[in-house]
Amino acid sequence: MKALYIASTGMSAQERNVEVISNNIANMRTTGFKRQRAEFEDLLYQQINRAGSSTSDQGTVVPAGLEIGSGVRTVSTPRVMSQGSINLTERELDVAIRGEGFFMINLPDGRTAYTRDGSFERDPDGTMVNSSGYALDPGITIPGDATTVAISADGMVSAFVGNDSIPTQLGQLQLARFVNKSGLESLGDNMFVATAASGPAQVSVPTANGTGNLLQNSLEMANVNSVTEIADLIAAQRAYEMNARVISGADQMMQATSQLR
Amino acid sequence: MIENAQLISLSRQIALQRQMDVVANNMANINTTGFKAENLLFEEYIMPVARDGDFPRMDQPLSYVQDWATMHDLTSGAMVQTGSELDAALNGDGFFTVQAPAGERYSKSGAFQLSANGTLVDLNGNPVLGTGGPIQFGPEETGIQIAGDGSVSSSAGAKGQLRIAEFANPQDLKRDGSNLYSGGVPQAATNTRVMQGFVERSNVSGVSEMAEMIRVTRSYESIAALSQKQDELRRTAIQRLGDTNA
Repeated sequence: MKALYIASTGMSAQERNVEVISNNIANMRTTGFKRQRAEFEDLLYQQINRAGSSTSDQGTVVPAGLEIGSGVRTVSTPRVMSQGSINLTERELDVAIRGEGFFMINLPDGRTAYTRDGSFERDPDGTMVNSSGYALDPGITIPGDATTVAISADGMVSAFVGNDSIPTQLGQLQLARFVNKSGLESLGDNMFVATAASGPAQVSVPTANGTGNLLQNSLEMANVNSVTEIADLIAAQRAYEMNARVISGADQMMQATSQLR
Repeated sequence: MIENAQLISLSRQIALQRQMDVVANNMANINTTGFKAENLLFEEYIMPVARDGDFPRMDQPLSYVQDWATMHDLTSGAMVQTGSELDAALNGDGFFTVQAPAGERYSKSGAFQLSANGTLVDLNGNPVLGTGGPIQFGPEETGIQIAGDGSVSSSAGAKGQLRIAEFANPQDLKRDGSNLYSGGVPQAATNTRVMQGFVERSNVSGVSEMAEMIRVTRSYESIAALSQKQDELRRTAIQRLGDTNA
């Protein structure tokens, strides 16, 4: 009687599904968030009567086998890396990416993190940092007396320093892109790090090599669609309940067995 | 005779337990991409030795129940729009072909990803096969398009065509787990269309599986009650017949 264990794999898979959905919904308003999707697979099958085995000397064969499955597992939670909608914020250091690229952030431990969240700030030295205070890579320092910072579509940062009448170029932002964006590992704080699955980062200036162009004064919203998330949540909850019913059904059968004398 | 009756109910109970396993597996996979429900088939097994037609009043043949085969229910599942350019659903009888370590396997699940070197792979990292081998993308390509006939293209041009396999008798296919099927004789697809940005959900119907489960548990219980009645019958017989008034 494997039904009990099979149904329990179903319940734990749906539990994980609800966890993923609730994280998506919780991050509906997180800048640059990419939604995840739980992907499931069936487990191994017990071949009780194999299709194609012979049933007589005349060469007749079993037309369809007898296979009993053993449940389900969550195989991965890939991120759907589609473009989120762009929201105008009117802050000059807010930058959205329209394309495939990621901003690069220098982590305190020396690693490089990648993010779609372009809500940058200035630290006391004028360096452009993300909301956690980590510096952007390549580093860009905006002088204290600079006004009207402009960031072009290809990432050139310029500003009017002091009383200058022509803008000074302060540096150019660069973007990284990956062969397999879904293979990035999530760090939290809207940041990712590269893995063996994502492949190494290919760094180039914005607009080149398909990295996408930049939009100043705007932010990329999460790509979570509330309607599909709620529909998925309902489906997951009902699937969970039905698996629970299978467990109680299997329990009833076992009870009937144990009452035999 | 009584023993036979009990053995017949036992054969039914064993079959019902297995059917419960099948229902549980369908239910566990109600959200698995590209999963196809299984149905268990039973057949009557006529006990040859218990039959004797030579007596004036012929014996009745005894029939046992035997689970015989699981059929794949290959009706299509719901198509769900995902917005991911690497998702593909099959509208029709075809299967995707993937290169698993043990050889070519077939799958209805079109939730694909790219590997670190740009190959189109399934969720376990097995390359998805096109008519000319795996589909390969370069690091700087964008705008992946999958057309209705399975041709894949990107900003760098055509990338080959997905190999969609159809089967004359899909019931031949053996389930390998991980959404994969093996065996069968693949033929080139004629009536299958590929839909990009969609995945095919499991075709398990919660309602019919639930009804099936209730039917299984109830008939199991009634068979159990039947066995119990037979047991009582035998006990009474022993008491009555063994009771000597000598």
